[in-house]
Amino acid sequence: MAEKFFFLMFAVVAVGSALAVISLKNPVHSALSLIACLLQVAAIFVLLRSPFLAVVQVFIYVGAVMVLFLFVVLVLNIKKAQLETFPKGRRWFAYAIVPVVGIEFLAVIFGKSFTATGYEAAVEEVKVATLGRALFTEYLFPFEVVSILLLAAMVGAIIMAKKRWD
Amino acid sequence: MVDTAFIVEVIIIWIKVVVVALVLFSMPLALTWIERKVAGHIQVRLGPFRVGPHGILQAFADMVKMLFKEDVIPDRADRLLFKIAPLLMMVPVFAIFVAIPFGDKVTLPFTDRELTLYISDMNVGIIYVLAVSGLAVYGVIFGGWASNSKYALLGGLRSSAQMISYEVVMTFAAVGVVMLANSLSLVDIVRSQSGGFWHWNILYLPVGPVWFFIFFIAGLAELNRIPFDLPEDEGTLAAGYHVEYSGMRFAFFMLGEYVAMVSISALAVVLFFGGWDDPLGPFAFGIPPILWFVAKVMVFIYIFMWIRFTLPRYRYDQLMTIGWKVLIPISMANVLVTGFMRI
Amino acid sequence: MNEKKVKIVKRDTPGALDLAKKTVFLDFIKGLSITLRYNLSRSITIRYPDEEKWIPYPRFRGAHTLNRDEEGRELCVACELCVKACPTNCITVVPMEDDTGKGIADRVAKVWEVDLARCFFCGYCEDACPTTAVRLGRDYELACFELDKARKTKEELLKPQSVPEDFEGGIIVQAKLQRTKSGIKVKPNLWKKKEKK
Repeated sequence: MAEKFFFLMFAVVAVGSALAVISLKNPVHSALSLIACLLQVAAIFVLLRSPFLAVVQVFIYVGAVMVLFLFVVLVLNIKKAQLETFPKGRRWFAYAIVPVVGIEFLAVIFGKSFTATGYEAAVEEVKVATLGRALFTEYLFPFEVVSILLLAAMVGAIIMAKKRWD
Repeated sequence: MVDTAFIVEVIIIWIKVVVVALVLFSMPLALTWIERKVAGHIQVRLGPFRVGPHGILQAFADMVKMLFKEDVIPDRADRLLFKIAPLLMMVPVFAIFVAIPFGDKVTLPFTDRELTLYISDMNVGIIYVLAVSGLAVYGVIFGGWASNSKYALLGGLRSSAQMISYEVVMTFAAVGVVMLANSLSLVDIVRSQSGGFWHWNILYLPVGPVWFFIFFIAGLAELNRIPFDLPEDEGTLAAGYHVEYSGMRFAFFMLGEYVAMVSISALAVVLFFGGWDDPLGPFAFGIPPILWFVAKVMVFIYIFMWIRFTLPRYRYDQLMTIGWKVLIPISMANVLVTGFMRI
Repeated sequence: MNEKKVKIVKRDTPGALDLAKKTVFLDFIKGLSITLRYNLSRSITIRYPDEEKWIPYPRFRGAHTLNRDEEGRELCVACELCVKACPTNCITVVPMEDDTGKGIADRVAKVWEVDLARCFFCGYCEDACPTTAVRLGRDYELACFELDKARKTKEELLKPQSVPEDFEGGIIVQAKLQRTKSGIKVKPNLWKKKEKK
């Protein structure tokens, strides 16, 4: 009962703030809505008995990524950025893409492969130790691949940011 | 479905939350007075002396003044963000105390009900604390941006860069403690240090003191206190991000900063100084553990004030150098050493 | 061409000792110990109007005072030497003849006024005075709301000083803030000494 109530509350706020992200004109307001949205998602993770994921969501997305995001947004000239919405000529492209993506999503959601199996198994809280063990035994190879990918991206970012390269 | 035990549990949690919130709300009143007194005596003055005996009512007088001050919102400021920024600063620092343990279980007198002296023992407590304390930066950023003032904006930008850099360092220090305690829960971290001061993490030689210094420096930077108070650098930015604020909104910022100072002190005590643990261990003579906790936190608050009135301010590039080029390499090396020691 | 000679000061490369000092935060600890010492030392603040007051040395040059001899006769003979000596022309003396024994001679001052708003307390008047009648006393609370109040007349100046001439001074004593109709006064209690570092 209570759980359903909380889920609905978080879900409604999450969807509402997600809509606000794309509809608000001021980029800083959009960023604030995105923070609210990410916090709601973290709350839903708590309802799904995975507090570790919830906290990491807050830590990484809300605490770090959004701050860096805002850092860039704040130094923009807001008045100019507000005026520059999508260029008018390209709108037909967006109108064409949206139905396709929408149908795709609906097909996935109502299709057979997207069921909530395993939800019963997660009634108990996921221990961090279990997560760590899985990451370093079963999924060690993907983990390492992702690490190298991230490292490469980081090095690339540094090289691109460095103007005078000699 | 809903039985009395459940209702009693909920009521107890409510009472705990209200008590902690009230204590935290009244804390800044005392702390402003103590800070001004410490400042005075370090500078061989007396500090506030005129309102009440030894100026003890000064903070109340200030509060009354703040309440009656005009609430100025600058022209062309972003009104919504300007209004909510102080709350964005305040809420996370209060939320930190959900996870901080003040003491172990006590049995209530006249009943045989056990009461835990913490609101919640999360099994991800330490990450929760770090994550939530990182959110306080939004109050600073939005407050600085919404004021429509260049000083405030520069203060907000500086603090976002500073807090992001030092959050990394602080997380490393927390990683060290987690390696020593084998748990992410703050209650378990305290329990792993019980039994006298020689069991505390600070004395886990040789890595303990290094972790503590890394944590402490990162804490100073996270709190925006001297020597790392660049976001509110009076010399170059007037007052930084809260330069346009007045009255109660300014008081909320101050409240947030003081409660953040208490939270970092409490965290330092929990992570490195054994939390509520009696330093005498087996030779303890019956001082309640919660008093030990309060005493340790007070010592830390004094140290923060003591440092504030001793050191000058670092330059901004020095701040970044210390964070990225000194503390992070040291913490990485220290993770390695700690790992070898824990095998 | 006048070439500037720039002396390049080469910094000493940090040795092992400096590094060791840095790693144990030696300078930092030194600084902290200094501030801790100050924190524990006594404050040098004089809680001036409320509780304490500084009593100056006898050499202090405060507000003027006119003296009498042991028999209560005015020492001033209205010779007007102080008026001549005064660099700011703040003293006004009008002599008159009087043989009732009010003064030590048969010439006394009818008017003896000093404008403390003009006076800069150089003390030439007391140097010039042949009978040591005029002295600069130890009163230093001279602020007033009206300029007229800064003119001190003979009657006011003849009153005994708040600090006697032979009191040693140079100390802080207990004092009390008094609010009267004529204004605020800080009344010292000369025999209650307060120690300061």
